[in-house]
Amino acid sequence: MIHHLIRAAILTGFAMFIVYLDRTGEMMLYIAPRMELYVKLSALGLYAAAIYQIYAALQKRMGKQAPDCDCEHEPSPSIIKNVLIYGLFVFPLLLGFLIPTGTLGSALASKKGMSLSGSASIERTDNTASPELDPSESQGLNADADTKAAAQSPSKEENAKAESGIDALFPYDEYTETHAAYGKKLYEQALISVPEKQFIETLTTLDLYREAFIGKEVEITGFVYREEDMGKERLAISRFAMNCCSADALPYGLMIIWPKALDYVEDEWVTVKGTLTTSTYMDNEIITLDAIKMERVKAPESPYVYPDLDFGL
Amino acid sequence: MLKFLFRFGTPLLGVGCLIMLALIVTNREWPTELLNAANLQSFKILFISIILEAFPFILLGVLFSALLQVFVTDELIQKFTPKNPIAGVLFGALLGILFPLCECGMIPVVRRLIRKGMPAYIGIVYLLAGPIVNPIVYASTFTAFRTKPEMAYSRMGLAFAIAVIVGLLLYKFMKKSPLKATPALHMAHHGHSHSHDHGAHHKGFKGRVASILSHASDEFFEMGKYLIFGALLTAVIQSVIDRNTLAAFADQPVFSYIFMMGFAFILSICSTSDAFIASSFSGMFDFGPLLAFLVFGPMIDLKNTLMLLTTFRVKFVLILIALTAALTFIGAVITEALL
Repeated sequence: MIHHLIRAAILTGFAMFIVYLDRTGEMMLYIAPRMELYVKLSALGLYAAAIYQIYAALQKRMGKQAPDCDCEHEPSPSIIKNVLIYGLFVFPLLLGFLIPTGTLGSALASKKGMSLSGSASIERTDNTASPELDPSESQGLNADADTKAAAQSPSKEENAKAESGIDALFPYDEYTETHAAYGKKLYEQALISVPEKQFIETLTTLDLYREAFIGKEVEITGFVYREEDMGKERLAISRFAMNCCSADALPYGLMIIWPKALDYVEDEWVTVKGTLTTSTYMDNEIITLDAIKMERVKAPESPYVYPDLDFGL
Repeated sequence: MLKFLFRFGTPLLGVGCLIMLALIVTNREWPTELLNAANLQSFKILFISIILEAFPFILLGVLFSALLQVFVTDELIQKFTPKNPIAGVLFGALLGILFPLCECGMIPVVRRLIRKGMPAYIGIVYLLAGPIVNPIVYASTFTAFRTKPEMAYSRMGLAFAIAVIVGLLLYKFMKKSPLKATPALHMAHHGHSHSHDHGAHHKGFKGRVASILSHASDEFFEMGKYLIFGALLTAVIQSVIDRNTLAAFADQPVFSYIFMMGFAFILSICSTSDAFIASSFSGMFDFGPLLAFLVFGPMIDLKNTLMLLTTFRVKFVLILIALTAALTFIGAVITEALL
């Protein structure tokens, strides 16, 4: 009977915890919005199970055999074992209620490994353009870098060459078709603002068609992330991209060059405006923002960004 | 009741206090840099988010399995078992679509099916394929790998293929019953080793509802402890161990498969929620090792090995593990090469 009561308490605890997370708005720190409904529904299930456990406890108290047949999964008779098992259930509850919740930041980003070149699933075929671009040329911020790159980047499809300027800038195959279309849209904007809704997609497109975007003005908001190798003049502006829950969140970022980069501490939220260029980091050529303006901002309501599942549909 | 309260109340309170003390102390001053406040924060968020994420799926699985245990008798399943070996193996591999039990609920059911005359090889095929080839696991894998739907397809396909191959090999080479000679039915007082005789004493609707709720909540606790332990380990690994340490394994072409399979074995997470764990590693590991993780974990893991050993002969269990591991490895490598 004591087992029924302990179980009822634990089940109620978890259900209350879900309600608490929902009320305080902390739910979005843990799971993606599209999963929230299911988690809330599971709180109902937990309540139902808790009520049953109390009912079973009362049945036993009144001397009746609970109607749960003879196959009840009897708890272990060992006290230590029981304490350990129930402790395991109580632990996340204590952790959840008692420790103030922060957000994921630089500490975890360095553990998970920052991605500085957009989504890894869409890989840039490096042999297309980068070897042919002079390093001096790619560093150049002059606007005509676009046209040079365009002239030099050999498109995978022969006929693409024959097409007019903008199409030649965005060669694509079956996997990058959406990104090419999105890239053309971005290309027409005077200031490319990396949006929350398509954060990864935008970064991936910028990286994929970097030749076209070099020299463009880009604006991005995120938290400051730093690695030792970045030195005094560089930092990365980053966001965590969450699929379902924060356990699968991965950090994506954009390298920033700013002479006084050390003025900004890790995990500070900033908005940066700058021109897109490339630089070499850890032997990789990555897209980089040569910052013009940097300002501290309030942390956004949701620290995460989510992959846009409608992208390209 | 008071007696129980005295007996269990004190140790429970003690543990609660110890945990709280530990948290207070550790929150103030972590001994090493590895365990600083930022890492604790990441650990907390990861740990709880895995649990929250898995709740809907675990509850769904537990409810379904309770419904089956109350409403579907083993005799019914047995009646539909084909006599032809190939048809039988295919039947076993697809049984999970009709009866999506989790691997924990599976072992007692399979054992009883074998005792009641279902051919052992079909039971084993169901044991292997059931936790993967079923709609609930398909849905959760698809959700976790939303941007990579081929993961869900290849997981189903590979699990099906492996179960069928193991089943046919067992049919050909297994001569005697794999069950232990003296059934340790009530000897080892294990949470799962109870007979589930239902259908005999169902007194109307109320009794059935109570029975379903009873099964579901009991099973929730049985599954829950493995889930929470798995979430704990995963959260610690992700928040404390540097990516570069893991990446050292991830970069090895062959070892990354073995590493992910070993990882799946130790974690012992329910197959309805392991896809979320796997997707959290998707930035680090390639498709193949993740597939190996998703296919091997539900078939063979630490907790179900313990459960298998209470039911089947040791030699048989070892052969089954080796066979499954080898096939998963080969299958995942081939799938990776093909995709």
